[in-house]
This record gives sequence, C-alpha cells and structure tokens, in this order.
Amino acid sequence: MSADVELSDVSVTFGSFYAAKNVNVKVNGGEFFSFLGPSGCGKTTLLRAISGFQEPSEGKVLIDNKDMSGIGPNKRPTALIFQNLALFPLMSVSENIAFSLEVRGVSKEERKKRADELLELIALEGQGEKKVHQLSGGQKQRVAIARALAVEPKVLLLDEPLSALDLKLRQRMRTELREIQKRVNITFIYITHDQGEALTMSDRIAVMNEGELEQIGKCDEVYNNPLTPFVATFVGENNPLYGKVTGIEGDKAQIETADGQYLAMMNDSKKLNIGDESIAFVRPESLFIPRDGDSFDNKIDVNIESFEFEGNLKNFYARLQSGAKIKFSVPNAIDTSSISSGSSIALGFDSSKSVILPKASLAID
Amino acid sequence: MMGIYIFIFFAYLFGPLIIMSITAFNSAEFPSITPWECFSFRWFNEGKIAYDGQHLAGLLSDWRLHDGIISSLIIGAGVVTLSVPIGMAAAIVLTQVRSQLRDIYYSISIMPVLFPGVIIGISTVVLWDRIAGLGGEGFISDIGRNGIFLTILAQTCFISTYCFLIFVARLQRFDQTQEEAALDLGASQTQVFFKILVPYLSPAIASAAVIAFLFSFENYNTTVFSILSDQTLTTVIASKVRLGISPALSALALTIIALTIIAAVTYEVLRRRAEKRYAESQEKFVKEKAADNRINKKYKAGFKIPKGITAILLIVVFATYGATQIVKNDLYGQSCIDAADKEKKSKFLEQLQTLESNELTDEELSGGSLGGNQDYGDIFGDPSLFQDFGGFD
Ligand SMILES: Nc1ncnc2c1ncn2[C@@H]1O[C@H](COP(=O)(O)OP(=O)(O)OP(=O)(O)O)[C@@H](O)[C@H]1O
Ligand SMILES: [Mg+2]
Repeated sequence: MSADVELSDVSVTFGSFYAAKNVNVKVNGGEFFSFLGPSGCGKTTLLRAISGFQEPSEGKVLIDNKDMSGIGPNKRPTALIFQNLALFPLMSVSENIAFSLEVRGVSKEERKKRADELLELIALEGQGEKKVHQLSGGQKQRVAIARALAVEPKVLLLDEPLSALDLKLRQRMRTELREIQKRVNITFIYITHDQGEALTMSDRIAVMNEGELEQIGKCDEVYNNPLTPFVATFVGENNPLYGKVTGIEGDKAQIETADGQYLAMMNDSKKLNIGDESIAFVRPESLFIPRDGDSFDNKIDVNIESFEFEGNLKNFYARLQSGAKIKFSVPNAIDTSSISSGSSIALGFDSSKSVILPKASLAID
Repeated sequence: MMGIYIFIFFAYLFGPLIIMSITAFNSAEFPSITPWECFSFRWFNEGKIAYDGQHLAGLLSDWRLHDGIISSLIIGAGVVTLSVPIGMAAAIVLTQVRSQLRDIYYSISIMPVLFPGVIIGISTVVLWDRIAGLGGEGFISDIGRNGIFLTILAQTCFISTYCFLIFVARLQRFDQTQEEAALDLGASQTQVFFKILVPYLSPAIASAAVIAFLFSFENYNTTVFSILSDQTLTTVIASKVRLGISPALSALALTIIALTIIAAVTYEVLRRRAEKRYAESQEKFVKEKAADNRINKKYKAGFKIPKGITAILLIVVFATYGATQIVKNDLYGQSCIDAADKEKKSKFLEQLQTLESNELTDEELSGGSLGGNQDYGDIFGDPSLFQDFGGFD
C-alpha cells in the first residue's frame, strides 16, 4: 500500500525566519522521490512537516488526499528514518524492529515472526539477538529501515540516512534501498544533499534552496534542463559564461560575453529578452577537443592551467582570455598527451548541450 | 614525597575513624585505647551492668537505638519514594522548558539545597502545625503532628533537589530523537515514557535512590526539628553524646563503616563482573566478525602488585602488633573482664567507705552558718517578686 503525499503552499517559520516557503509538490504513490538541497536549506524541516513533528505555519500536508493538520506523528501512515537513525540502544535488534508492533499490543510470537521476516528482508537473518552497538554502520542502517517498515507505513521518509557511511557502503546501500523500495512498493521520500545519490535512486527529484523549491522533475530533466542558475550549478557541475543576450532565434539565444559569442538553448518557462543579463552554462563533459570532422556551433579558446586524473575521467582546469575559470573533462580513453599546462587550445560545444538562463546567484560562488 | 603527602592526608581522613573503631573493642566504660582494659565484644552485644548498678547498653540491647534505626529506615524509604519521582519529573520538565525561562526554572529548582537544613525543618513544622490546627481532630491533625511524616516531607524538600541534579545530568546526554522515533513508530506519550525514557534513566533512578536514602539516613539538622517527639538514629546518637560518650557508639560507628565498605565492595565487584561480561561479549562479536585467529590469541595477565600494598602492609603490621600485645598480656576474654570489674568494684567500695568516714554534719548540709536554702530555685516561689511586672500575655 502506498499513498500520495501532497504539500500545498507549505511554509514553516521559526520566528520570522522561513525554513520552508510556499512549497508546492505532489509525490505520487509508489514513487521514489528525493528532496535535494544544500545543508540548512530546510529539507529536514519539510520532512518533519510531513511526518507530523512540525505543524506547517501555513499551508497543508495531504496524505492520500486527507488533510493531516492536527494529526500527530504516531497517527500518520508515515515512518521516518532519522538523520542519526535513532535506534534504541538498550534494545536488541529484534526488539528495535518489533517496537512498533509492541506498542500496538501485538503478541510476542507474532512480533518475533514479523521481526524475522524483516530481518530476512534486510539480509540480517539470525542476528536479531544482537545489541545495536554490535552492528556495523551499514547494518544499523538496514535495521533502521526494517524498524520503519514494520509499521507497514504507506510512506517512508528518509532523512539523509546514508550520510554517515563511507563511500563504498553508501554506493551499495543506494542499490539496496532502491531494491527494498521496489519490493515493498511504497512511497519513499528521500532527503539528501548529495546530488549523485538523488540522481541514481530517484524517480523524480525536487531541488531546494533556502526553503524554496527551485525545480521539480525527472532526474535527466533536471540535469539537462535546469530552470535556474542554482539548479544548474548544484546538480552536477557547470561552467557559467556571463554575458548579455544579443539575439534570439526559436528556442535558442545568442549571448555576448567578454570572450566571445555563444549560442545556447533557452528554457521556455523563463523568457529572455535582448539585452538581458544572463548566463550560459556548459558542463565539463560537453566541452570537446575538436577532432577532424567534428563541427560545433560554439568555439571557445582556453589556456590550460592544470590537470587532474580522476580515474575514468581526466579533468582540465583552464582560463579564458577574460580570466574566467573553466573546467572540462575528457574520458580516460582519449589520448591527451598533446595537451600540457600553459598551452592554448580551442574547445567546442554544441548549443543544444548548453543552457542560457537569466542571471541569478549560483550554488557555488 | 608524594607518598608522604598521601599518607598524611589519609591519616587525617581515616585516623579518627580507625581510633574510634578500635575503642569499640575495649571493655572500658569510656571509649579509650590507652588504658586498655580487655579485648571484648561486649559493646556490640549486651553492654554491661556497671558496678554502681547503672546499665550501659551495648549495641544489641539498646532499644532506643533500635527504634531510631527503624524510624530512620522508614523515613529513608519514604524520602526515596517521594524524592526520586519528584526529581525525575522536575528534570524532565527542564528539558521541555525553552530559552531564558530555563535558567530561572533551574535556579529555583536547585534553591532548596542552598537553604540551611534547620530552616527547612522549622518551617515544615510551623506550616503543618497550622494545617493540623485547621483540621480539628482527625487524620489531618494526626499526620500534621506526626514526626516521621513531617521529617519525610522536610527531607524530601532538599533531597529531591539532589535527585533532580542526578537526572538532569543523565538527561543532558539523552538523544531526544529517540522519543520522536518512538512516537513516529506509533507509541503514545505514556509508552514513550515507560519504554524509552525510564529504561534510559534507570541507572540514574538507582543512583538517585541510593543518594536519597543516604542523605536521609544521615541527616540531622532538618530532622532534629521536624521529628518532634520521635527519634531517628541521628537524633538518638546526638542525645546519647550529650549524656557522655559510650563505646557502644564506637561499636555502632564501626558497624556502619563496615556495612558501607561491604556495600561499596559488593557494588564494585558486581560492576566489574558486568563490565567483564560486556567486554567478553564485545570480544566474541569482534572475533566472530573478523573470523580471523590473529586476534584469537590468549593473553595471560601477569601478577601485578596492587598499588595500595604499602597501606595494607602498614595495617597488617599494626594489627599484628596490637593482637600480640593483647594476647601476651592476657588482655582478653571473660576472665580479664571479671578481674577488671572486680578491681573497679573494690575501688568504688573504698571510695564509698572514705566518703562514709568523712560524714558531714547536719549544719554543713543545711548551708552552714548562713542557713536556709542557698540555691535560687526559690526565686519563683516569691509572690512579691514579679508584682510590678505586667505579666505574660
Ligand atoms: N527548531 C528550530 N528553531 C529555529 N530554527 C530552526 C529549527 N529547526 C531548524 N531551523 C533552521 O531551519 C533551517 C533549515 O533547517 P533543516 O534542519 O531543515 O536543514 P536541512 O536542510 O535538513 O540541513 P542538513 O542537510 O544540514 O540536515 C536552518 O537554517 C535551521 O537553522
Ligand atoms: Mg537535515
């Protein structure tokens, strides 16, 4: 059983400070939905509003089209996995998992049966007698999930549950979480500041900044077609090219920068006019070293400054004539021995891989 | 140098207690070490009937002491049952109070420990005397003038504050998200309290109960006022001391010290055992997980000389010396006591005889040539003395 979750004009204030502001979003039943945003942008606050720990100052939270105002966290069909997991240290693993059943007065045998089932689901069979402190980080993680699932919630809320784990484990848990979600088939609302995590797991994501939603959409949509400079730079990496709009034709616009003119795609939602201050964005992996036969509608001259080997990619840091920094990445398979620091080369990029947006602040300054 | 300092410090700390403990085994009527009469356990048992017929009670035969201990135990139990919940509730409230109010609330909560105990005792009596007065005859007036009840209330006033501090310290380390997690999993507030908070606080509950009991048991300055006509152990001891100290008190002190040490040692042993069990389970877990016998090596602990060895040696040397002296000089056992008593009795008789031989004349007894009764007891018998005085209203 899964449920829709709808936030309608939700604002949460602490004093005069808006931790969340006019949030409107509808999460569909059975969806894996992520809120992505930098630390302190109000993600936890939103999640607490959904789970019932925080009444919204304005607006409504609807679960299965039912208004949740005035309904406490213990009465909502949601289960929350806390940022610090909040497992009960004095109880064994099984007791932790079966806690929600215990408080509902379920018999002991029934509880044990259910706990064993869930232990199997999280691949911890036979470890129910252990104490929480005897588990590894990833195991604790899974116990927290099992404990939340034991209530048979319609919506599972996860607050950065992987942030405390190391990289390898985090990557494995991503797949596991996704698999568990498919198996139990309930709505997952996931919170993270890690865009990689959000992109790999989610059906859809919502990007948040300073309490407001900047963009909601499918992962590739948000990645390829950001609606604001914040989203463009927060989700993945992007090189900003500042300038003024000098021409518009169809869905493309011409931007004049200190280093030359470029053509880029326009988002129809935000109309640009000639003369507007704007930014064109081009991702490091969309900048190419032209080879014979390649033709790009944009050319850019750079001066290589340094180089960094990442494994699958080689990253180059360069400067434009105006002094603006730019980064581009080349797959490791491509030979780049001719490029050394100090050398000047011309790069090319396709206008369809570049986005032009009205000027606004970026995620990284 | 350090060793000398520590020795002096411990001698200062425990010297009086050790001397007092030794006097408990001396059969003499006054607690003393140096005229050593006989080694005996009489002050732990029956005491003695002195040669002049006075009964000097020993620990076992002193019913006033027994009554006092029983009252002290009842009061201690009462104080524990009141102070622990009050302290706990107050500490939990503190976690819910926000911002500036929090400091004010905290200061008010700990204020009772700053009041002199005397004042708490007196004010409790004054208040309940009024309440008892209002109630006329019956239950209210009975408990309002019941020393044990009043003492429980008076002691709880400040002892609950100590409990409060213990709970505050423990609650400071409480992860509040656990409560939220329990709520989120469907628990009611009551269930959160009993299934999450109380188990978490249980070590604090235990230590608060112990501390409350000890504070109550040893309290004097509040109790002496609020106990009214009853007696607790401390007030009995105090009133005994006023009449002159007896070795029975030394025996009591030694018993209390021994009980304390036994309790402390038992606690420590149990704690270490639990710790060891915990460490073992941890180790087992690590081994299981590692599945690697590099860490399965057995470590054999070498015999280590305990640090307190000098102190122990010193005590053993002194004890042996004392014991040999007692045995050598035959200063123990019933025969020794009988001999000592006989000697004292004969001395007493001698004195009596001297007194009888120096018989006073009638004239001397009646105040000599001045005549009449020379003490001032008669002053209130004089009807004219307070004539001009307005009298007491
Ligand atoms: N109880 C509170 N009182 C006052 N301000 C609060 C409270 N809770 C959160 N805030 C503020 O609201 C903002 C959003 O907090 P929130 O915890 O939602 O951030 P977050 O996006 O979850 O960040 P992180 O990724 O670091 O967990 C922060 O600026 C925080 O200081
Ligand atoms: Mg957070």
